[in-house]
Amino acid sequence: MSNSTSPLGYRFPGGRYTIADWENWLLTDCTTAQTLPENLAHPVSLFHVPILGAGTSIAELFEICGAEGPGSVGLDSYDWEYMHPLRVGVEYRMEGGIVRWENLVDERDQPYDSMSFSIEMFDGSALVARITNTWRFRRKKVVSA
Amino acid sequence: MSRIINVGDQLPEFVVPSVDPARMKTMAAILRDPYRVHWDREATREMGLDGRVINQGPLNLSYIVNMLHAFAGPTSIRRLTVSFGRPVFDGDLVVAGGEVTDVQDSILVCGVWLKRGDEIVVSGTAVVDVAALASVSS
Repeated sequence: MSNSTSPLGYRFPGGRYTIADWENWLLTDCTTAQTLPENLAHPVSLFHVPILGAGTSIAELFEICGAEGPGSVGLDSYDWEYMHPLRVGVEYRMEGGIVRWENLVDERDQPYDSMSFSIEMFDGSALVARITNTWRFRRKKVVSA
Repeated sequence: MSRIINVGDQLPEFVVPSVDPARMKTMAAILRDPYRVHWDREATREMGLDGRVINQGPLNLSYIVNMLHAFAGPTSIRRLTVSFGRPVFDGDLVVAGGEVTDVQDSILVCGVWLKRGDEIVVSGTAVVDVAALASVSS
């Protein structure tokens, strides 16, 4: 069904990330809200901070999963847990990898690969947050002769 | 502040009158997101979408987050579990809403959604701690 190789089990290099004040200001503005008090980062930072902090990127994830151009990638779901609020200026450590990969067919009989990656985010040894995101990589239907 | 919260209570809505494509461009830069559908109208024309760019999933979720913050405060969110059903385009009017489905001490479980008209484009569950709001009942 799919012409991509399964990336299940792929581990991100891991690394660290500190949310900058300007970055949080711009991101919060994009959400149409005002910045939060007491150096709190907007909770939606939990999309890009774990990805970049784990040493990967959206571009690399697209490449690993064989994205095929505009319209080929879709979001399915996010599961985000906050053990502590995120804060600007704190250096977080991230680790994670690709935890699920399935070849599936949608309701219009179009093949796609469903990929989930999970990343944990730490402040020192304390778990601050955990994400599991599921993306869809649509594939061209192979027609047999 | 004290507030009585019950199962079935509706959360105050958060309205985005018109999703702004300029904000999508800024967001793409922050996220280092190379997916052209968020900032290049030609990419969505290729998809037959009339050249309207597609809002990032995190921005769609952010409107739900802002709704939860207005209701329960900026450190209240414990968990967000959401599914993305339909894309949101520049110029769309979207409304984030929610309803309390369970109350355990200061922890609320809420069904949450983002709607475009009557169409639900994002849906899921939020767990929020409303300890700062004091009085909670089920």
